[in-house]
Amino acid sequence: MPSSTSSSETSTRPGFLRPTASDRPGVAQPVPDRDVPAHPWGRILGAAVVVFVLAIGAWEWRLRTLELLPGDLGDDSSAWAQQRRRIDAEPGAMAIVGDSRILFDTDLDRFEALAGIRPVQLALQGTNGRPFLQDLADDADFTGLAIVGIAEVSYFRDAIGLKGDVLKRYRHESPSDRSSYVLHRSLSRVFGFIDEEYRLSKLVRRLDPGLRAGTRGPSDEPWKMISATDARQAWLWPRIEHDARLAAHAVSIWDAWGRLPPVTDDLIARTQAATRDAVAKIRARGGDVVFIRPPSAAALRVVEDKRLPRSRGWDALLAAADVRGIHADDDAAMQGLVLPENSHLSRACSTVFTDAYVRRLAALTDRVVLRAAAPAPLAAADCAPQSSVE
Amino acid sequence: MVFNSLTFAVFFACVLALHALPLPWAVRKTNLLVASYLFYAAWNPPFVLLLWISTVVDWYAAQGLVKARRQGSRRAWMLLSVVANLGMLAYFKYGTFLLDNFRVAMLAVGVDYQPPAFDIVLPVGISFYTFATMSYTLDIYLRRAEPARSFLDYALFVTFFPHLVAGPIMRPTELVPQFEQPRRASANQLYFGLALMTLGLFEKVVLADGFLAGPAEAVFDGAKIPGALDAWIATLAFSGQIFCDFAGYSTTAIGAAMCLGFAMPDNFRFPYAAIGFSDFWRRWHITLSAWLRDYVYIPLGGNRHGEARTYLALMATMLLGGLWHGASWTFVLWGGLHGLYLSIERLLRRRFAGVKPGALALFGIALLTYALINITWVFFRARDFGTAWRMLVAMSGQQAGAVPILPAVDLIAVAVIVSGIVAVHWLMRERTLESVIARTPAPLLAALWACLAFAIVIEQGSGNAFIYFQF
Repeated sequence: MPSSTSSSETSTRPGFLRPTASDRPGVAQPVPDRDVPAHPWGRILGAAVVVFVLAIGAWEWRLRTLELLPGDLGDDSSAWAQQRRRIDAEPGAMAIVGDSRILFDTDLDRFEALAGIRPVQLALQGTNGRPFLQDLADDADFTGLAIVGIAEVSYFRDAIGLKGDVLKRYRHESPSDRSSYVLHRSLSRVFGFIDEEYRLSKLVRRLDPGLRAGTRGPSDEPWKMISATDARQAWLWPRIEHDARLAAHAVSIWDAWGRLPPVTDDLIARTQAATRDAVAKIRARGGDVVFIRPPSAAALRVVEDKRLPRSRGWDALLAAADVRGIHADDDAAMQGLVLPENSHLSRACSTVFTDAYVRRLAALTDRVVLRAAAPAPLAAADCAPQSSVE
Repeated sequence: MVFNSLTFAVFFACVLALHALPLPWAVRKTNLLVASYLFYAAWNPPFVLLLWISTVVDWYAAQGLVKARRQGSRRAWMLLSVVANLGMLAYFKYGTFLLDNFRVAMLAVGVDYQPPAFDIVLPVGISFYTFATMSYTLDIYLRRAEPARSFLDYALFVTFFPHLVAGPIMRPTELVPQFEQPRRASANQLYFGLALMTLGLFEKVVLADGFLAGPAEAVFDGAKIPGALDAWIATLAFSGQIFCDFAGYSTTAIGAAMCLGFAMPDNFRFPYAAIGFSDFWRRWHITLSAWLRDYVYIPLGGNRHGEARTYLALMATMLLGGLWHGASWTFVLWGGLHGLYLSIERLLRRRFAGVKPGALALFGIALLTYALINITWVFFRARDFGTAWRMLVAMSGQQAGAVPILPAVDLIAVAVIVSGIVAVHWLMRERTLESVIARTPAPLLAALWACLAFAIVIEQGSGNAFIYFQF
């Protein structure tokens, strides 16, 4: 395709080594010139690859010493969307919605061992479970049991929270998103350093100890909390169980809830109404809803109750929505469990808690039936730290 | 698919391998064409249809132009292309905007018109490929170029994945001739292309997404009222973010094309070292500003019909340029501000035609240019005029009830990175990247390359779309 103008006919601005379209007004633009600087590029690439591989190896080693291990797959929007699509394929599925407590405190393997069912884990860190209960209610195909995990600080608020964008990903996940997700998971099984919370920019930001007064900085935000494997089986990151600094940091974040104003009657009423409507919709199609309130440590309960005491929150919600619920306070098997940072159970205790709540679920709803070969009940002693057992 | 995704890494490796096979040139071009459609379909497969429509309409319009004897027929074929392309743009990009403004206009005359729900998904990069295909028919209409000899070459020009969704906006005369003869990158082109891709991805993943997007978002999109420091830092952060995002895309695209043996034009030339606004637009998004100049400003009369008409053409071009960026009045105002700046500069140049500023004065003008460009970025970044106004008041130090927003680490990071960007632009303002690289010792280049790649990998990224994808 010949052009009417060759590059030799164009004017060049002083100083520039290579004219651009901005130097050639009103003419057809010629084939661009792109020079390669004179260098031994093969050797440069080789040297760069060697340095890169050594640097990545050193980084991987360093982060593994910080207990970032291969196989911790993280939890992103695509992982959630993949689980959400299980309900599309199996409308009678059992689904768990809620925040990080029901997410970290549920051992899906134990659930399956007891009930023969592996629920779809849809709970999300730092995210209000109510919009997701409504999402299930609005899904005309969902006829299963919705298990709603409640932490009042998360459920009684208007904002959706940190991970609200997962619904968008579920509704439109491009082929490219899906393939990148598969590749990301494959790499996460090999490299421990692949972790959203240990990105370069996040590590740099955490160098700030809170130098500027009055701002909300990295020291005021939760750091890595989650360790996750396939099908969104998630736990509290094990390092928090024995790293006092990380546990103390998390505790300081939860303690900040004490500065939140008490929940207003209006917000309570709106939350109850939205919940009641969602429960009614699900029941009208033959589904059902059960609420679970996982434990929090006594020190944190003081903070939580200050914002919303049980009588105004949990008890009133169950009554208003006419749903059955399991509150950790009410079950002896859920007492004495280990909460390393006051809000979430240790990995071992999440199994004990799951064991206890699945047995209670079986008593509350005929949608959960204990298998004949179900393992024997567990107790708090089964997850007590080794030193206290001795 | 986006360049900063794992999917692209695998896709690009496959394309490189396929392109290196000893196959006939036509087969290798077909491979590139199919790969480019896959690249686009990886975002939303049905929208490939739009690409085909744009491709086919302009191909036949160009054929018609060539065969037409009368000027009226030629104009009709040209208009078919323009109407088809702008029609697609109007529907997908401006449909909701037009409907909203129509509703407001009706309300102003007392009619409460409630339009039906009009939820349109914007096809990624539609503004880029419609402009590219329009330039094909317009160049033929303006007798600047001949039509492509092969439909395959032409279709590949429209669809070639490195430039497809965010430019540089290619002209047919820049790319179609490259498809006429077999091309394969030399080893040095392949390695240097990979180096350019690393540099582009570093700008996008590490600087734009990792360090600059967060502070801008915290202030522009947050509920707190910013003071002067936060407002300025957020605006500077956005100035760095949008440069690193878009120039990073262009650099990656140029590198990807070079790995395959093709040359793409510069799209940025160290714009934050611009001395004046006409200089800025010769350095920022060069392929768009040149497109608007050639197909809007000059046809509107350019500077050939007196001063008043020149200013009118200038302002109309910049307002359209603003609207091209997004279906919102804030973008129109952004373009209008640039039109105003250019007009004032033109006036001043005429008024002080004999004055030759010294080096210090030029540096001062460059700083003033950068500061005024930052004012325009406020309108570009703000979601609405309320936010933009709040930011401008804050930047002037007049905001009541302001609270500190950004932590110290963000203030420091933005200051360091943006100062670095501006300093590099100033040092490079009369150089090309290649000329500087040619003078850099090879061991240093290897170390820098490894550092950039290392930073990209440990930043990990989250596959965020490039800002300009939405345009």
